[in-house]
Amino acid sequence: MTDASLPIRGVMSPRKRSSSRQMGSRQTGSRHMGSRHIGARRLGARQITPWLYLAPAIVALVIWIYWPLIDALRLSFFQWNMLPRSPQLFVAWDNYAKIFSLPKFWLALRNTGIYIAGLLPIAVLIPLAIAIYTHDLPARARNIYRAIIFVPMIIAPVVAAAVWRWLLDPSYGMVNLVIKWFGFDPVKFLADPKVAIWTIIGITGWKLIGFSTLILSAANANINPSLVEAARMDGASRWEIIRDIRLPLLSSSVLFLVMMTILLGAQWSFTYINVLTGGGPLGATTNIYYLLWDFGFSSMSVGWSSASAVILFLGFGAIAFFLFRLIDRYSFHDN
Amino acid sequence: MTTDVVRAERVLTKPQVHTRPQPAAKPRPRARTRSRLDGAAGHLVMVLLSIVCLFPVYWMVVTSLRPANATFETSIWPTSTSLDNYVYALQAIPILRMLGNTLLIASVVTVIQLFTGLLAAYAFARWRFRGDKLVYSLVALTWLVPFQVVMIPNYLLIAKMGLLDSVTALILPHFASALAILLLAQSMRSFPREVIEAARMDGARSWRILWEVMMPNLRGTIASLAILIFISTWNEYFWPLLLSRTPANSVVQIGIQMFMTTEGTAWGPLMAASTMASLPILFIYVVLQRQVIQSFMKSGIR
Repeated sequence: MTDASLPIRGVMSPRKRSSSRQMGSRQTGSRHMGSRHIGARRLGARQITPWLYLAPAIVALVIWIYWPLIDALRLSFFQWNMLPRSPQLFVAWDNYAKIFSLPKFWLALRNTGIYIAGLLPIAVLIPLAIAIYTHDLPARARNIYRAIIFVPMIIAPVVAAAVWRWLLDPSYGMVNLVIKWFGFDPVKFLADPKVAIWTIIGITGWKLIGFSTLILSAANANINPSLVEAARMDGASRWEIIRDIRLPLLSSSVLFLVMMTILLGAQWSFTYINVLTGGGPLGATTNIYYLLWDFGFSSMSVGWSSASAVILFLGFGAIAFFLFRLIDRYSFHDN
Repeated sequence: MTTDVVRAERVLTKPQVHTRPQPAAKPRPRARTRSRLDGAAGHLVMVLLSIVCLFPVYWMVVTSLRPANATFETSIWPTSTSLDNYVYALQAIPILRMLGNTLLIASVVTVIQLFTGLLAAYAFARWRFRGDKLVYSLVALTWLVPFQVVMIPNYLLIAKMGLLDSVTALILPHFASALAILLLAQSMRSFPREVIEAARMDGARSWRILWEVMMPNLRGTIASLAILIFISTWNEYFWPLLLSRTPANSVVQIGIQMFMTTEGTAWGPLMAASTMASLPILFIYVVLQRQVIQSFMKSGIR
């Protein structure tokens, strides 16, 4: 299954690619020599053509991603305030040392962890439960629900932020009106340092929950019904069927969503943080991505921003590598 | 609700023990009652989820349609409607201009990314060449680079080009995307090689094979990619936020933000602007609902 993991699969194992080579080798009989021979001739004749086709994309990616990465690494060793005329001062590892000694950085790192931990249940666990629980709804009803719960996914993050700001307004917001109607005190969703981060997590989750549910429902629907039927014949209980058949077969989709949430979760919340809380109150909602932005474009400290960008990139790179390995090893496939 | 279901289930499953010896007779009706009960509970779950997902959007539209003096009304259905908020929003900021900019940027980016993506994917799918695997993984890797990591160098580059506060600058960094390249390469690889070989025998050059042989067969992938790129570019916020100085050169997402100030928020116009910014996307969604969902699910998030 996992339609959703297509690009990821592509990243991990470009496995379909050797087909032409195998064809060539089969024709020439001698496998090894043959394939190398044909490969060599192809290389000679058309060496330049593929590169011409690649050129526009490569140039763009180098200019806008790879060169900037290198430049960010370079700038992380300098002190500079982004004004063209002010000098760039080489400070070696100072920026890194400063950042590691800043309580703000550790707070942001901790918050990033909270964002991810808070998002996982909304973006993975609840959708998983819903997907399994509702798998036998009639197709027509399911299509209607599908259309509705997908709406948050396509709504612009800024719009989502605006709407939730309105719904959560302490005096006039619908949510607080309901809370007051039940006789409780209104909640300052965005101004209370203890609550604000959970509000942002909730809004980020609201955007994702329908999407995750659809991904997992699709995966669940793809499970071969004869497997479930066979288990039922053997007297397996409902829970046993879920535990021993559905969950293992859903594991690759679940892992995919977990990975997306870990790698991108804190990033998705950026818009909501910027529009709704500005990182506050008292830094309570600042995560590492927002800190980068804050260093770079509020404090105008290019060095700090770049240094934390490098730290972030290496950290998340390591996590991504680890997760890819995990997915490769632990996902089941029913074909 | 859940406890009810559990209890009902226990009652329903009890006879199972007794009926086991003669399984042919009774399972049918039992299964039917159980599935009907489950079905009802399942519907309940989905209806709740649907309300959670849709209500905020509904509330946005309803609030935007209330007369200016009725913004704080709480009736679920607007008692009286007016376009006051829209008129106000249109006068307060050049929102039509911003919508136009957004439309222009999203369309141009979609076309360019599909173009560069098709070319690059074709190179990967059609030829083996020195370093192809390396280049492929380098392309794939860019998918994992958060924009926040490269934002300062990108910003400096745009500044050096003298393009700050311009619509061009909002397009440039989106010239190529790993997602488009990877997805297209994947569907091109499943294209039968025999057809390509046959076209080659007929003397078709690689360029013609791409556009006349492969392209028509990639329509599905291209359409779903186009939807995806268009919607995500339309919704983009971070890069315009860095670059925009004047409203006239910015996108509608930045315009929405202008109604939320520290002094207070003009809720009615804010909801009107948000509705205007969402309408094109919602329109696409209503018309192409199935394709939109499919394209998002096919390619993951981002």
